Order: sequence, then structure tokens, then C-alpha cells
Amino acid sequence: MTDTAIEAAGLGRRFGRRRAPALDGCTFRLPAGRVCALTGPNGAGKSTLLALAAGLLRPTEGGITVLGTTPAAARERLAYVAQHKPLHPQLTIAGTLRLGRDLNPRRWDARVAERIVAEGGLDPDTKIRALSGGQRTRVALALALGKRPELLLLDEPMADLDPLARHQLTATLMADAADHGTTVVMSSHVVAELEGSCDHLLLLGSGRVRLAGPLDDLLAAHTLVTGRAGKALDPHTVVESRATGRQLTALVRPAGPLGDGFQSDRPSLEEVVLAHLRSPDAPPLLLDRRGAAV
Amino acid sequence: MTALGTATAPAVPPGGLVRTVARTHRTALVLTLLVLATATAALAWLHSLGDEARAGNRACATPPTDGLPSCAAVEAITVDETYASGLAVIATVLSWVMFPVAAWAGGALVGRELESGTAQLAWTQSVGPLRWLAAKLAAPAALLTAGTGGLVLVNVWARGDSNPNLAGDWYYPDVFVSTGPVAVAYALAGLALGALAGLVWRRALPAAGVALAASLLLHSLLERHREDLWPSVTRTEAGSFELPRSALQVAWADSPVNGVPVTRATFHPESHFWPLQYVETGLLLAVAATATAAAFVLLARRLP
Repeated sequence: MTDTAIEAAGLGRRFGRRRAPALDGCTFRLPAGRVCALTGPNGAGKSTLLALAAGLLRPTEGGITVLGTTPAAARERLAYVAQHKPLHPQLTIAGTLRLGRDLNPRRWDARVAERIVAEGGLDPDTKIRALSGGQRTRVALALALGKRPELLLLDEPMADLDPLARHQLTATLMADAADHGTTVVMSSHVVAELEGSCDHLLLLGSGRVRLAGPLDDLLAAHTLVTGRAGKALDPHTVVESRATGRQLTALVRPAGPLGDGFQSDRPSLEEVVLAHLRSPDAPPLLLDRRGAAV
Repeated sequence: MTALGTATAPAVPPGGLVRTVARTHRTALVLTLLVLATATAALAWLHSLGDEARAGNRACATPPTDGLPSCAAVEAITVDETYASGLAVIATVLSWVMFPVAAWAGGALVGRELESGTAQLAWTQSVGPLRWLAAKLAAPAALLTAGTGGLVLVNVWARGDSNPNLAGDWYYPDVFVSTGPVAVAYALAGLALGALAGLVWRRALPAAGVALAASLLLHSLLERHREDLWPSVTRTEAGSFELPRSALQVAWADSPVNGVPVTRATFHPESHFWPLQYVETGLLLAVAATATAAAFVLLARRLP
């Protein structure tokens, strides 16, 4: 059993020669058993990265290994839920789950899939085309989890769920992942949605990796400082700094003890992510190397 | 290592994949079976009219002489018209099977699945994309082969003695296609062209349109050049002569040679039916095989 769920080396993907690459030189490693938040602004390459990991796209540069092998060879052990939750509209929910059973005869766990559908109060005889967006998401997740995947790739899974369903499905997902040691990669641009359920972060910006590593380590590597404007923050890496009158607020990666005259705070995940999104030139921080801060 | 063990494990049995294809295309399946049942019933009914129809289409004499029936009596029988037009309709339907098949294969079978993402959904299950395409092609191909082949046999049976005055001559385009193996080959070529168009265009409507256009082109090309698919027979005689009733005339020339009128006829006798069928079937199966191979190569190249 490999301890790495996804490993990318110089991974790049271009759609057409003239357009900027959707992913460019991405190198990261996701250990197995993590629940990883994949975030970034619209067009950052989140969906492209997930499709590459699912073996639906061929990289134009570099490579990606999934569960210790190629994405194509790992197909049986991963599940992927695309952003728009494609399902056959003419099938019923029960028919959709039968499709999951027929296409995954060696892995299918009908109880898991049926429980997720039942938790949403859905009648198995309802046609997919009669479902709301959120109900479709539930069926798509049931199909994905019924396969008992080792790696679950979810593209914007919670986007069209109401808060209650989101909470409930996240709980189901997390319980399932914890029980079976499933690695989960969940993309979203809503950071608040990810905090609390994820323990690993991958932040993409313009097709490049900006932040990667265990959530706690990434948060611990950053400090929110406030002090008088004009004071030097020199040895430290400044991600973003803003001056309001004589007051200076900055997010830094301290290189050592902060000087006197600064008040330091632990930033929230949202503050760290937003600071990086607002400062595209801030250097990336990768804490996911083998042995590094794991 | 688990990874290696899983990768070399025996392939997932194809039964589930075939069931999935049948379930996701149930409407097309039901419609096909309905058409098959209707056409078979119609042919059985036409066959039952056969003897009466032939009685209504025979030599007669007024007044009846030499054992020939009276023409008034023969003309009073109208069932021969029903029989002839029924057979003509079935022949047309059978020789056009390719068009709906190509449009369906390009649109619903492949194009729509790629457009809506349900193909990608299937590809991330335990079956790979190539096995998905194989099942998508094999299941309808089996149904089309059995269905079209069966209908051709029933059609030949319903045509009885194939009296050309009732059932049309063997070389009429519709009759030629609907009475031999070439009917099956047309259906399979339509399926393969449709699947290829679906994979190339990845959208239902353009793929259906392109597949239909390609099928129309192929169908009319073969219809126009059918007589060139097998060497024709030439008969040159002094004076004038007539070709037999069931000869397909390719060229006809009367020109005087040294003052003597000479007639030169180029034609296919009825015995060329089978060679022509085999050559055309072979060409269509080659088109189908090429399109299928191209579809597999395209899918394999696009995906890792």
C-alpha cells in the first residue's frame, strides 16, 4: 500500500496553443488518508487538476501518479464526481445505482449508496431528470461512495446544496473517509466550506501551486502581525501588508522571532487564503515534501 | 504490492457493461424491437397475400383461351397492387436502415454522452474507456446484425418466387439492398460512422448531422457505382436483340459496322447478384472496420 495518494511532478496542461496553460509546472504530493481542500479562484485549474487525476485528461507536460500508479490503472480504486454531476436523466435513482453496481462488480457496496440516497429522503423510483441540483449531487455522491474508492475526487461537491444538506453530506463523507481511510480531494472556492472538514490544503492560482501541505502546518507557518507603519519586517517573508493610517497589518511567514513593537496573531484559513489570492506575487509555500513537516 | 495486484487482476466481466448499455438506451432498444416486430408482421401478412397476388398478375386472354383466364377476372383481383406496394415499402425501409442508425449512433449513443459528461462518468468506473466503447458498439451491432439479417430472410421469404412484376427486379436499388447481406453491412457501417462522428465532434447534434451526411454520401456513391463493382458482360451481335427481362443494362449501342447494323450491349445478368452483393458487403464492412478502428485510436490517444 502506497502512502501517497497523488503525486504530481511538473504537471502541466494546455488547452490550445494560444491560450495560457490551465496548469503549469505543478509539483505537489498528497499523502494517503488526508482530506484535502483544493481551492483557488475561478479558472485556477482546480477542475483540470481533478480531471487529470481521474485519468480523463492527458497531461501536456510532466506527470501525475495516483495511488502509486497511473490514473488509468487506478481507475477502479478512485471515484470522481464532476462539477456538473453528470447522470443519465432518463434513469431512476435505483437504476443509477444499478449502473454503479454493474460497472463496479468487484467493489460495489449497495448499502452505502442506498443509505446516502435514503438520508436525503429520496424515493429510489424517481427519475434523475426530476431531481433538483442538490438532490442530483446526493445521487452522484452515492454513486461515488458506493464504489468504495480509495481516493475520492470531488469537483465543487457542495456548490448547489442547501446548508443543511451540505452539513449532513459533509458529515457522511467525513465519517466514511475516517472509517475507511479514504483520501478525499474536494475543490471549492468557498474557503469557509472547507475549514473544519479538511486537514490538507492545496491552493492553486493561475495554474500554479501557491500553497500545499497539512493545514495546521500551513497555518502555523503564517503570522498575522499588526504594528506601527514604517517598521521593517525585513527578515520575514511578507505575503501581504496593508497600511491603514499609521497602523500596519501584514501576513508574514516569520523567519525567526518577530521584533518588538509587533503584535502577532494566529491567522484563520480564510485570512491566509485571501492574502495569497490578493498577492499573486507572494512566493509559494510547499510543506508537502516527503518527511517535511508531516 | 496492492497497486500491481489490482492492475493485473482479471478484467471486469462484460455483462454489467452490456446491461448498462441496454438500460441507458432503452428507448432505442424498445423502438428497434417494435420496428422489427411490425416489419416481420407486415412481411408475414404480405407472404399470405402472395398466391392471390400472383393470380392477379398473370397472363390473360379476352375471351379466355388456351387455359388462360379471362382478363376481366384477373383485373378484378387488386391484391397484387397491395402486395407489390407493401414489398416496395419494406424494401425501402430495409435499404434505409443505415440513416437512422448513423444519426442515433452519432447523437444518442456517443455524442450526447460526451456532451453531457455521462461518458466520463462511465470511464471513471471500474471499466476503462476502451471497454466502454467496445460494449457501446458491440451490443447495438449484435442487435442490428440479428435484426437486419432476420428481416432480409423474412423479406426474401415474403417475396415468394420474386416475380419481378410484383416484387421488382433484383437490381432495383431498394430490392438489391433489401434481399442480401449488404443490408446488414449498411447498418453496421452506419453504426461505426455514427460512433466515430460522435467521438470526433463530442456533441450530439453536430455528430448526428455529420454521421447522417456521411451515410447519405456513402449510400448514394455505392448506389451510383454498383454496376462497376463486378465486371459486366458484353454481348455483340449483328442486327438487333433483346436482353433478358432480368438483366441490368449498363450500356447499349447500335452502330453500323461496314454497313451492317451491330448491337453491343453491356449488362449484368441475374447471376451477378451474389458477386455484386459480396463486393458491396466487403466494401461496407471495410468502411465499418476502418471507422471503428479510428474511433478506438482516437479515444486511446485522447485519454491517458
